[in-house]
Amino acid sequence: MGTYWSSYRHPENFPDRASEPTFDPLYGFPNGRKPREMIATVEEMEAAKLDLIDRDYCAHKLLEFRKCRSENWPWVANCKHEKHAYLTCEFDDFVLRMKEHEREKRLKDRQMRLNAKNKALEFSE
Amino acid sequence: MALLRSLVRKGLSSSTGKNITFQALRSAGGWNKDFAPGPFPKTEEERRAAAKRYNMHPDEYQPYPDESYGMGDYPKLPDISGESKDPYYNWDFPEHKRNFGDPIHAHADAIGEDRWNISAKPKIPYKTQILVSIGFIGSLIGIYFLTYDFTYYQPVMPKQLPANGVHYTFEPAE
Repeated sequence: MGTYWSSYRHPENFPDRASEPTFDPLYGFPNGRKPREMIATVEEMEAAKLDLIDRDYCAHKLLEFRKCRSENWPWVANCKHEKHAYLTCEFDDFVLRMKEHEREKRLKDRQMRLNAKNKALEFSE
Repeated sequence: MALLRSLVRKGLSSSTGKNITFQALRSAGGWNKDFAPGPFPKTEEERRAAAKRYNMHPDEYQPYPDESYGMGDYPKLPDISGESKDPYYNWDFPEHKRNFGDPIHAHADAIGEDRWNISAKPKIPYKTQILVSIGFIGSLIGIYFLTYDFTYYQPVMPKQLPANGVHYTFEPAE
């Protein structure tokens, strides 16, 4: 509701779903940010012939899930733990994307306010 | 005259009980240049000759207006569909509700018994049909354009793939 309202009031500050972040990722973090680590290797992903969209930071969980399935098939209901682990990883990735979006939006709002203040200062001088 | 002769020939074959199919110009003998209607009749003599060719009284005979219909001298018959004709009358050809020598409507294949009933009042008037169709589809299109500027997507950034560079979490670096 609130996000929809802000997208209606300031559509220029609402990042498009296809646009990448425009600000420096480390801007505003005095203690820095931990980089995301990629656990599955390129050779593993290529050997498993993963889709390109699946070669993200949760690929190791996906590979474990697929391994479990291929071992337990046709009783793949035994792979509930691996499946849940993979989906939880994907969920956390999605939450991180939402946080990135919110950060981008707030930085853009801040930029808009700074521009307005600078303009006001110019006029007053 | 040749047109009627071909129909008579086919009419005789129906006496054995076989269905005759003279729908439009799909005759079993193929197309003949004599079957084609003549040019638009301009003089009185041409009108009478055309009426005689189509087995009509000269007072009844009325060609299509000479305005790019391309019908030539083919008569303009009243629009009565096959369904509206009397089912209990003793037609010569009951399957087509037609008597021997009757001129055939120019669009007989469209207003036959199992096709469009041109002489009946439609349950929903044609104007209403058109307006409702255009109105419904038009309103759907209108809603698309009205809401185009207010589209809202899930508030997420694109998916982060390691092949496209370095990405960070929100935790402090060690």
